[in-house]
Amino acid sequence: MRILNGPSRRGIEMPYVQAEPLEHTHKVTLLLNVNPKQIGQLCRDWRAVVDVIDVQAGAPLKDAFDHSATWTPTAHPPASVTKVAEAAASA
Amino acid sequence: MPKGAEIVLRCVRAEGVDLVFGYPGGAIMPLYDALQGSGVTHILTRHEQGAVFAAEGYARSTGKVGVAIATSGPGATNLVTGIADAKMDSVPLVCITGQVRSPLIGTDAFQETDVFGMTLALTKWSRLVRSVEEIPEVIAQAFYWARSGRPGPVMVDIPVDMLKASAEFHGPVDFNPHPKPSDVHNDSTFCETLIALLQQAKKPVALIGAGVKLSGAVSDLRNLLDCLNIPTFATVHGMGAVVPDKPYYLGMVGMHGTRAANMALQETDCLLVFGARLDDRVTGEPSRFAPHARIVHFEVDPSQLDRVRPCELPVIGDLAETIPIALEQLQSASLPNWTTWRAVACGPERSEVDARGLAQPTIRFLDELFSRLPDKSIVVADVGQHQMWAAQRYRSSSPRGFITSGGLGAMGFALPAAIGVQLANPDMTVVCISGDGGFQMNIQELATVHRLNLPIKMVIVDNKYLGMVRQWQQLFYDRNYAETDMSDNPNFVAIGYAYGINGRRLRAEALLGEKINTGAEETLDSFLHSTKPELLAFECPPEANVYPMVPSGAALSEMLFEE
Repeated sequence: MRILNGPSRRGIEMPYVQAEPLEHTHKVTLLLNVNPKQIGQLCRDWRAVVDVIDVQAGAPLKDAFDHSATWTPTAHPPASVTKVAEAAASA
Repeated sequence: MPKGAEIVLRCVRAEGVDLVFGYPGGAIMPLYDALQGSGVTHILTRHEQGAVFAAEGYARSTGKVGVAIATSGPGATNLVTGIADAKMDSVPLVCITGQVRSPLIGTDAFQETDVFGMTLALTKWSRLVRSVEEIPEVIAQAFYWARSGRPGPVMVDIPVDMLKASAEFHGPVDFNPHPKPSDVHNDSTFCETLIALLQQAKKPVALIGAGVKLSGAVSDLRNLLDCLNIPTFATVHGMGAVVPDKPYYLGMVGMHGTRAANMALQETDCLLVFGARLDDRVTGEPSRFAPHARIVHFEVDPSQLDRVRPCELPVIGDLAETIPIALEQLQSASLPNWTTWRAVACGPERSEVDARGLAQPTIRFLDELFSRLPDKSIVVADVGQHQMWAAQRYRSSSPRGFITSGGLGAMGFALPAAIGVQLANPDMTVVCISGDGGFQMNIQELATVHRLNLPIKMVIVDNKYLGMVRQWQQLFYDRNYAETDMSDNPNFVAIGYAYGINGRRLRAEALLGEKINTGAEETLDSFLHSTKPELLAFECPPEANVYPMVPSGAALSEMLFEE
C-alpha cells in the first residue's frame, strides 16, 4: 500500500498494477506515465519504504502496454452525471 | 499461557521501555488490565494527543523510542497529528492502538476506524495484528523500524480479541530484515571527490541538521568543523550540534535565520549539508536557493537527496560512519586558505543584530529568562512567533537542548512534550514556552503536570493574537487580521490555580527600562528556582514581528528587517 502512495499523492494515474510472490518476498510492477523528474522522485520515495528491498525502472512491458491501450481515462469515481455523459459523448 | 496483552507488555519491556504514555478505552482495556506488575509505568495524560506529544518529548530528548497507547476509533485518530509530527521530524515512536474484535473489522463497528489505512502515508511501518501468535514478531519489527536508519513513527493496531486470547509465549524475538543493496559508504572513496570540491571552493559553508544528533555523530562533527573552520549554520533542529561560541558559527539559517547565515548560504560555491533535508523553511524559494553552490549531501535517507536540485556528491549512509571517515581524510588534506571569506561571512558587519529588535520586550524577556537558566536545561517551544524568537535567542551546546515541532509546526505541542521531556530528564530544568494560542490547544495537560508534580516552568507569551498568522496578515494581507484576535483570552494564572499550579504574571512594562526592574527580577528568579510546577503569563505588545524574515517566494538574501 505504501508503494501505491507514491504515485497517488502526486495524482499520477496507475493503469496497471501487478503484485506476485517472488522467493521470500513480493514483486510489484506498476505501469506509469511519468517524466524523468517524477521517476527520480518515485524511486527515492520507494527506496525509503522500509519493506522495499530494491527498485528498478525500465521500459514498459509489452503485455502491460497492451492492457493499457484499451484503457480510456475517465473522471475519478464517483463522477457526476455530467462528466460521465461528456466522456461517453467524446468516446 | 499468558494473554496477548501480557505478551505485548513483556515484549515492550524487553525493548528497554519502562515508560509509556496513553489514555484507556474499550478496545485497549485488556492491555491496561495487564499493566500492574508488568514493569512498564504508564503515564495517563488527558487527551491522546497529549500522550503522543509526551511520547515524542521523551523520545526527542533522549533518542530512545517513545511509546503512546490509545484505544480504537477516536482514541486512535487523536494520535494522528503526533504521528505526522514524528514523521516530519524523524522521531522514533511506537503507537499501540486497540481495535475492535476481528470479526467486526470492516463493519463500521462502535469505535472502529481504519487507523492502519489512515496512517499509511505517515508511518514508517505499520501492522494490524492478525493473530496473538504473531505479537512478539510484530513488536520486535515495530521497534526495529522505529529506531533504524532515519527514525520515525510506527503503528501497531491490535484487535481486542487478540489482547484477550492466550498463547504459548517463548519470549521476545529478534528481528533481522532482509538486506537491501547497500549505498552505505563504509570506505573512503567519496573523500577523493569531497577533497577535490573543497580544493576548488572559494566560499565553502556547512549546514547542520537534525541528522547529526539522530546518528550520534555530534562529537565527530564538531571535530570536523574545527578542522575545516568554514562558516557554519544550523536548521532549527540542528542547533546545539554546533558549539554556539565558535567564531565560525552563524546561528540558525532560513526563513527567520540570521542575516549572516542567510547571506553566506546564498553566496556559497560549495555547500556541505550534514543530516538536513533542505526543506522550504531553510532554502527560501527553492529555484533561487544557493545559486552558485555545488552541494555535498551527507544523509542516511536517500529519498531526501536531490529535492532542491541534484547534488554534486551524495554521501548516503549513517553519519556516525561517514563523518569520521571524512574527518580522517580531511585532517591530512591540503585545503585552501579561506581567511578572507571567513572574515566577510563571519564578520561584524553581517553578524550585528538590529538593536531595535533586541529592545523588543519579548526578546528582552527571553534574554532575561535564558540568562538565568542553569547549564542543565532544556527549552521546549510551541509553534509561532515565540518559537522563532526562542530559537534565535537560546544558545545551548546541548544537542537536545531545544525541542520544538519543526517540520509539521503543530501548535499545542509544547506542554505535553515538556511532560515527556521532564520525565525523561528529572535532573534538568525544563522550560516550556508557548503562545497564548498553542497553550490552549492542550491546556488539559496541566492536570497531568499537577498530578505528577513535575517542576516544569511553563511560560505563556500572551500577545492576545495568533501572532505568526497576524504577522503574515500585517505584511502580506494589508493588516486584515481575520480570525487571529485572541483578546478575550482567559485568565491563565487563574486557570493554573484551578489545576493546582502556582501562577504569576509579568507585564512588558517591567522590561522597558535599560535594566529589568526589581519586581520582574524577583518574579523570574522565584519562577525558575521553584521546585514545583510554575506558570508565568508574560503579557506583551500585540504587534511585534519576528525579523529577519524571508517572505514566501523570496530568496534567502531578500530578507525583511525591522522598519
